[in-house]
Amino acid sequence: MNLSLLSAGGVTPAGLGPDAITARWPVTATHSHGGVPVQAGLIEQKDPALLRWQKEPRLRRASPITYFMIEAVEQALQGAPHLDRGRTGVVASFFLGCLVYSVRFYRQITEEGRRFASPVLFPETVFNSPLSHVVATLGLGGPVYSQIGDKTCWASALRTAQCWLANGDCDHVIVLAAEEFDPHEVDALQAGGLLRGGLQPCEGAIALLLSPSANSPAIGTIADGYDFRTRQEGLEAAERCLAEFSPHTPLLDTATGWTRTAAAKISRSIIGPKATLTEGFTLSAAADTMRALDIVASGQSPDVIVPVWGLTRQVAAYRVTA
Amino acid sequence: MSATPPPQIAITGLGCVTALGGDATSTWEALHTGRSARGPLTAIVVDGCRVTEGAEASLPSWPSWPEKRLRRVSRSTRLALPAVRQALSEARLLDANDRCLLPRLEMSVSTTACGMEKGEEFLRALWSKTRTGQSARVAQYQSQAQTGAIHDLFGFDGPVMTVANACAGGGNAIGHAADLIRSGMTDIVLAGGYEALSELVFAGFDGLQSLAPEACRPFDRGRRGLMLGEGAAFLVLENAGRARARGAKILGYLAGYGQTTDTHHLTQPAPDGAPLERAMRRALEQSGLDASDVGYVNAHGTGTPFNDGAEAQAFHRVFGAGQTKLSSTKAALGHTLGAAGAIEAVLCLLALQSGQLAPQINLLDPEPLVAKALVGHGERADLSAAMSVNLGFGGSNAAVLFTRA
Repeated sequence: MNLSLLSAGGVTPAGLGPDAITARWPVTATHSHGGVPVQAGLIEQKDPALLRWQKEPRLRRASPITYFMIEAVEQALQGAPHLDRGRTGVVASFFLGCLVYSVRFYRQITEEGRRFASPVLFPETVFNSPLSHVVATLGLGGPVYSQIGDKTCWASALRTAQCWLANGDCDHVIVLAAEEFDPHEVDALQAGGLLRGGLQPCEGAIALLLSPSANSPAIGTIADGYDFRTRQEGLEAAERCLAEFSPHTPLLDTATGWTRTAAAKISRSIIGPKATLTEGFTLSAAADTMRALDIVASGQSPDVIVPVWGLTRQVAAYRVTA
Repeated sequence: MSATPPPQIAITGLGCVTALGGDATSTWEALHTGRSARGPLTAIVVDGCRVTEGAEASLPSWPSWPEKRLRRVSRSTRLALPAVRQALSEARLLDANDRCLLPRLEMSVSTTACGMEKGEEFLRALWSKTRTGQSARVAQYQSQAQTGAIHDLFGFDGPVMTVANACAGGGNAIGHAADLIRSGMTDIVLAGGYEALSELVFAGFDGLQSLAPEACRPFDRGRRGLMLGEGAAFLVLENAGRARARGAKILGYLAGYGQTTDTHHLTQPAPDGAPLERAMRRALEQSGLDASDVGYVNAHGTGTPFNDGAEAQAFHRVFGAGQTKLSSTKAALGHTLGAAGAIEAVLCLLALQSGQLAPQINLLDPEPLVAKALVGHGERADLSAAMSVNLGFGGSNAAVLFTRA
């Protein structure tokens, strides 16, 4: 089942709108909770296009990631105004999910006491709450999944879209990537050794509205689920994954952080270089999909393999064709 | 040209770990004693909460792993691994060394809190400026640590779809596994869910005043809330043709799956239960069965006023006051959130195999709409189909329909 792009929406550090997906994402100096300095790509949360969603009664207490997501999805829907929303499914992918409110709620538990933590905050910490708000507010009636995992859960979400469309469960699928930044994330990334290699965390949301029609360019075969436990095994996992595709198809440069060292050892032609090392996890994976679609649409290459370096556990890849 | 009919989906393995038992057999036997696992909690700190009891599981030992390694992994990993081993073993997919015979095996998994206690430990250490051990805490928190541990221990890899659709996720994970097989994208999937008790989640439900201060009483007019629990369950779903060809024992079939999203409220279902009713009807439609064919429904039945009221209405409209029986096993096992749908799917399959029905315990004053349907102690039925139903925060609904082998 090939997936064709009907429209897209983006809330990225480069701004709002589809063009902000593949534009260079700027970073600003910030620091972790523990004082670790880092460059991070942050969203301007006072943007009126985001603030307007706070007027929705259901969204008054929603987390930042909800506003990123609903704005990105609304942009994608505006690009396809005649769509039957009742037959449109949504699958969201998260590496970190509702980080800001989760940290805040746990802090209240530990500092103010379990009985005094805000009860209205807790439901917003649940992974699928943001997508639930999006679906309820925008009236989407197809299947709805919130998927989690390392960065390869973006590839898994694309596969879910293929599955739903192949079974006729819906006519279109919005595949969504979203992350929000919290200073504690930097401490976690540092503890996990992920800041090495110049990784710059960022936040935002990207929504791709996909259809099963034969229009080109399209997302085709997805090779998902190749494990590694150590960074040395990362290259081997990538090579097993990429063996699923023709050795003559070029790879898109998608590696960030430590995976750049592994990616440099793969002997295939590379389309790149990657414009920025900013890493929004699922968000960056979604942006890579857009880059690949642009590359084949522009005729730069008839097809391209897009590796998804999961950073912590798995490698996936998929082919985009003209 | 006629379309190829979708493949029949067989269940060839199942396993679970619950607060009533370390495997499916002991859980099933304990359920029929009418016992509840409710008791004081020792796994997490609940000081200061309004409610301090729940359904805590005994962590099964793992002889091949040293204690030091066990301490490093999350509680949810320790609950998941034995359930996976039971399922793979029953499906005859393990060799003598407990290694999976398939080098690649797709997984469809549900959790809501991953390895939450590791995330909590990370934050507490950070705030107290403790630097040691943080790397392991970060590594063990996220869902890929739990699914990765399954891969490592049993020696396979493959695509992993981890759905976090709150308390409906277990049903979604199993339904999605069936969808993958129906679509032809794969022909065998290890599906299930896991959840461990955690401080954040317990305090969250306590703060919402959703926890029952005494016994959890699903479908009782005096119900006052849910009982949190923990556990894991996994099933092997397989294209039935493939299962037969390799001589696997078929334990039942997944005949239908329906999912809907209730947009009424973030934490409360639509009072009339209409979105849940649609999920049930979709599962029936996919199966080609009539509601009267379904002999038993394992309800979501959390014991909260809103959930059970909506669910009773949906059940009544779909199944009427006919022969279909109903019970919520959460009164005995606790609400295991992302694992609930998977555990309850296992219980449906055991009911289909044995003809025994899990009793509705703690009932004093039954909800009139479903009073006649609620399962009494020792009740049996000649079942041909059973449905598991789940609802979750955010409005996720899942209905999974099983038939007898």
